[in-house]
Amino acid sequence: MMTGNDDTKFETWLQDAAKTYNEPPTGTVPREQIWARIETERARRRARPVIVLRPWLRWGLAAAAVLVLGIGIGRWTAHEQTGGAGAAIARADSAASSDLVYQIAATQYLSRTETFLAGFRADLRAGRTEARFPGQARDLLTTTRLLLDSPAADDPRMRALLEDLELVLVQISQLGTERDTRNTDLITQDMDQRNVLPKLRSAIPAGPVPVRTQGAT
Amino acid sequence: MDERDLINRVRAGDGIAERALYDAHVDRVYRLAYRLAGDDALAQDFTQETFIRAFEKLDTFRGDSALSTWLHTITTTVVLNGLRKVKRFHTREADLEMADGVGGGRREAEPDLKVRLQQAIDALPQGYRTVFVMHDIEGFTHEEIGVALGVETGTSKAQLSRARAKLRESLADFAGEWVT
Repeated sequence: MMTGNDDTKFETWLQDAAKTYNEPPTGTVPREQIWARIETERARRRARPVIVLRPWLRWGLAAAAVLVLGIGIGRWTAHEQTGGAGAAIARADSAASSDLVYQIAATQYLSRTETFLAGFRADLRAGRTEARFPGQARDLLTTTRLLLDSPAADDPRMRALLEDLELVLVQISQLGTERDTRNTDLITQDMDQRNVLPKLRSAIPAGPVPVRTQGAT
Repeated sequence: MDERDLINRVRAGDGIAERALYDAHVDRVYRLAYRLAGDDALAQDFTQETFIRAFEKLDTFRGDSALSTWLHTITTTVVLNGLRKVKRFHTREADLEMADGVGGGRREAEPDLKVRLQQAIDALPQGYRTVFVMHDIEGFTHEEIGVALGVETGTSKAQLSRARAKLRESLADFAGEWVT
């Protein structure tokens, strides 16, 4: 039978013994070395617009497609409304449409991910781990990374959520076909700890998702 | 220099202020990264990434918490993400590292106990391990841990309690060490 005294003794002993756990090397932190690396890496990141354009190109094409669609719909529904203010309104609409593209893409993605994670979790609770999950997680991971590189991630809260989702999806995508209780426990623990599902649900606007997503079933 | 002034100068693009901010916090950030990663190269990578992100996101720092707490939030995110990605902590041979006698000199714990303790801590679920390392080894408060990990203070306390209980169970062979 453990007593409070035993607990205290154990905790004191443990704190003392654990000082050697992953103990940093004695001596000073390699400050100059790390600082030099920081400066180099920041300079490299600043000077890589061409590389950054690759995911943007995809988003640009998507934006263009939605803009064409939007303009088409706009002309179709509003061709009877004419007037001098039309051109100015169209310009404002064009800028708003660009933002709207990312919002639509983000909303669709969040809805799909929420459905996927809720299903994943329900299956775990029921003692099942379906082989389809890693593949689906990889698909969603691709979209997650595209969104992280898009203006949708300019919002700090959205970026934090996307980073959390990236982590969870990476872990699920790495699950084997065999039931892996240890790793699935870690995944659900992470989801709980980071409140992933509640944050995800609160980030999804109420109402129907506007457009069908790529690969949605 | 006052921390708020320092932050404002960094936001204005002052390179000297950036370096001063880095110097003021790098030791603690590196130390936490090392404790969680157990590897110098990884700890350096994580420290580097922490400061790069901090400089990029400093505009979003609202001053609700201390700058150090905000930096530790970034550190834990970077480290935990990084560890998952490289999965080094799953494959690392803790006992080999111990056999190297890193650091040399007299240690308080016996070699066998150290190896077992290392293994027991490594085997903790990540949430428990992080809280245990931050609280019992690095001396963070539950409030600081709560902010850094984005959890309630009560969750941090509960995870620490469970971590200790698991360690006690794993180290039951060594009960004589703390009972005496």
